[in-house]
Amino acid sequence: MKKLSVFITLLSITSLGAMAQNNASPYSQLGIGDLEDGFYNRTSGLANTGIAYRSNRYLINNNPASFSALTDQYFTVETGIRGSIVNYYGTPVSPSSNQSGDITFRKLIMGIKLSKHWGSSIGLVPFSTQNYEFNVPYYLQGSASEIANHYYQGHGSVNKAYWANSYEFFHHLSIGIDAGYLFGQLDQKDILQNPSTGASLTSTTNTVDLNNLFINYGLQLYGKLGKKWDYSLGATFSNKTDLFASTNRVVLASDSSTLQNQELSQTYLTLPTTFGVGVSLTHKQKYTFLADFKHQDWDAVQNKNTYPGKDYTLGNSNKGSFGFEISKKKTFYNNKVELSYFQTGVYYGTTYLQINGQQIKDKGVTIGFGVNSLKSPLAYSIVFQYGIKGTQANNLIQERYANFTFVVNYGSLWFTKGKKYD
Amino acid sequence: MTINNYLKKGRLFLLSSVLALFYLVSCQKQPTVTFGSTYVGDNNGANIVVVDTGTVNMFTVFVDTTATAGTGYLQVGNFDDPYLGKISTRAFLQIAPPSSPTVGVNDHFDSLGMILLFKKSNPFYGDSTVTQTIVVNQVDTLYELPAFSSGFNSRSSLSIDPSQLGSTSVEILPNIPYTSQGAGDTVRIRLADTLGLQLYQMIYNQSDTILNSTKWLKWFHGLCISPGASSTGAISGFQDSAIMRIYYHKAGVYSVPAFIDFNITNRTYQFNNITKTQPVGYPLHNLILATQNPQIPPATPSSATVNAGYVQTMNGLNVKLTFPYLNDIAKRPDYLSVLRAELTVRPDLKSFNTSRPLPPQIEVYATDLNNLIGSPITGSAGVQTGNLVVDFLHPLNMVYTYDVTTFVKAQIVNTDPNAKLNGLMLSMPSPSGTTSFARAVLADATYPVNQRVTLSVYYISLYPHN
Repeated sequence: MKKLSVFITLLSITSLGAMAQNNASPYSQLGIGDLEDGFYNRTSGLANTGIAYRSNRYLINNNPASFSALTDQYFTVETGIRGSIVNYYGTPVSPSSNQSGDITFRKLIMGIKLSKHWGSSIGLVPFSTQNYEFNVPYYLQGSASEIANHYYQGHGSVNKAYWANSYEFFHHLSIGIDAGYLFGQLDQKDILQNPSTGASLTSTTNTVDLNNLFINYGLQLYGKLGKKWDYSLGATFSNKTDLFASTNRVVLASDSSTLQNQELSQTYLTLPTTFGVGVSLTHKQKYTFLADFKHQDWDAVQNKNTYPGKDYTLGNSNKGSFGFEISKKKTFYNNKVELSYFQTGVYYGTTYLQINGQQIKDKGVTIGFGVNSLKSPLAYSIVFQYGIKGTQANNLIQERYANFTFVVNYGSLWFTKGKKYD
Repeated sequence: MTINNYLKKGRLFLLSSVLALFYLVSCQKQPTVTFGSTYVGDNNGANIVVVDTGTVNMFTVFVDTTATAGTGYLQVGNFDDPYLGKISTRAFLQIAPPSSPTVGVNDHFDSLGMILLFKKSNPFYGDSTVTQTIVVNQVDTLYELPAFSSGFNSRSSLSIDPSQLGSTSVEILPNIPYTSQGAGDTVRIRLADTLGLQLYQMIYNQSDTILNSTKWLKWFHGLCISPGASSTGAISGFQDSAIMRIYYHKAGVYSVPAFIDFNITNRTYQFNNITKTQPVGYPLHNLILATQNPQIPPATPSSATVNAGYVQTMNGLNVKLTFPYLNDIAKRPDYLSVLRAELTVRPDLKSFNTSRPLPPQIEVYATDLNNLIGSPITGSAGVQTGNLVVDFLHPLNMVYTYDVTTFVKAQIVNTDPNAKLNGLMLSMPSPSGTTSFARAVLADATYPVNQRVTLSVYYISLYPHN
């Protein structure tokens, strides 16, 4: 138990740094960056379709109501790592340098079934990420012939530390609350360079600290449809939330002397009202069909989002996804134990960014495979995802990405005094 | 019953595999993306603003005396400049006989001549196709400094014998160099035989005046080489190795030509006397002259001199630029700091050509209310002389440019009441400042934007965040 505590602490500390790194995404400069829509869990192979999904072993943080499905006295830790390769297309992209790749730590969460009907989970997950580097040549203000190159850089992330609890009522209804604390830092640099030498003329660094509480509610209704079918209906909801931003701005001269170091007045970005609904149908505990729909009402908070970008508009974000899973199980002592599973999914949605009349769309497919070790408390899954985000129209950039997600799950029964099975 | 001893192995495996993957996290590269400005968020970053429309006041600062002694050149000629007026220069020099010259009883005198040498790199200003008359006169007073003077200068003059010792008319082609006398780079002037015979006899007699330099200089004070009254169009700078030569024949079986040279002596006492007049109709007619002595050099605004400033340092003309509203830039709400400042000085396009070339170098100095030349304004490469590129096909490209960042950085925050009188002085550096009559007519702020003097201040701008 002591070793496990050390391990978890170590992971938590390391993950804070590791989560901040990700692939370049030019449009992540706007708002608080790219909002994370992956959960890096059992539903990753299902195109993250899992609002209605319930699992007795895995932490389905798509919906806080799902934690009540854990096996009694079960403790589980889950971590996810993603490798990603992105190809960028469009006229702003140099054909000779249009690819980026990275491997990043995505989450660390834990869950436990505290009582027969009460499941609980804590964890650290990414909420949004910002990572961009690009050049913009500008005419100097006051000159029609002289150009300086703005080299924009932005790195950082907003993460969520949460404690979620769910409680089961009447064996068919689970209600969950995910109380999260959003925090993070975005470092945004604007370096003006001499276009011929690349030497810095001046640079502005905005360091933005973001934080606030964030509550997400979940509900699941589930039961049997005849002898062969199981159903589950799920819903999630989060109200609009102000994300406070404290900005420190440092302006350096070409000789790196400080011209200004100023704490700016606090601004905020309002996160919109969000809801999601999902349905899951399982046939003979083997074949599962899932569908999700998520909506973020950015239109309603458009006027409140003054930080940090402009020249773009926010639009309602909608996303639909479908998933299909085949689970291979074996019966031990009258109990069905899952050995492995295969998953696939598709998704299509619009992000909250609308640039030059084009709302950035995101679509793709996933395929996943997972095994549960019978000789150890570990379970593994690997997921491949291919997607296309954005468009090349109107001088925009399209990202075609391939993600490989590796999720490790550790689980054991606690409070058994060393006895696992009677 | 199963005891879960295997948990230790599982934990260790999980720990090691996950931590190993963290080392891979740093694998990352970025694409090269160049956006147009349309899609860039406003992150309130600093920008660079160029201000090149600030007021630049131009003045011609006139110094009535310039250093012309010991410059290495005998400047001789008249030049009628449509901007600067009529300029005339003549050279004064002393010569001395060789030590212990002798001639034989049967030798006989031929002639006396003056030899002036014009090398390719020597100063020349004007029309090389014009025939110039060069006159030699003898100084008829003691060749000495006036009382309370430390040296000869452009206004110094000595009385000369009105009767000429000799003269010649010659065409000098400075870039070959060649003279119309057909003797390469040499200009020969036949001098009066009476003087030649007198000197020849004195040598034959071994006169004390010849043998003793002090007595010689009291007897033969010096020479003045001047342009003929009707000669105009060019000024030539001859080498200060001018020679007065006695030609004679040595007696023998065959008579052999020989000569005795009187070389220039006391080179620091050699000086060029410059006179100028600016009659009505010349731009510099309204030039403000000093009325007292001593007096700070007067500065004439360009509005009084046909909207131009004039640089001809050897003639005492330099240009002062002031920037009276420079301080206002620092008062702008978005002003943070000066990034750099560049001064572009453009000559009047009609004012120069191959006969009236621009000075290849004009240096920039600091100056203040006293209109004196201060310390040089240095750039990254040190002293700046304008980087003029000669391109007569594209005369708009013929400009002088200077990095004046250090000056502007200091001046922009200078709130002293006299700060508006601080400025930049444009002057030809040594040696051209004392040897060349090349001049620049600099366009003031009334000229079209691309033809006038411009101070471009690049400052780092950041609008206050609300």
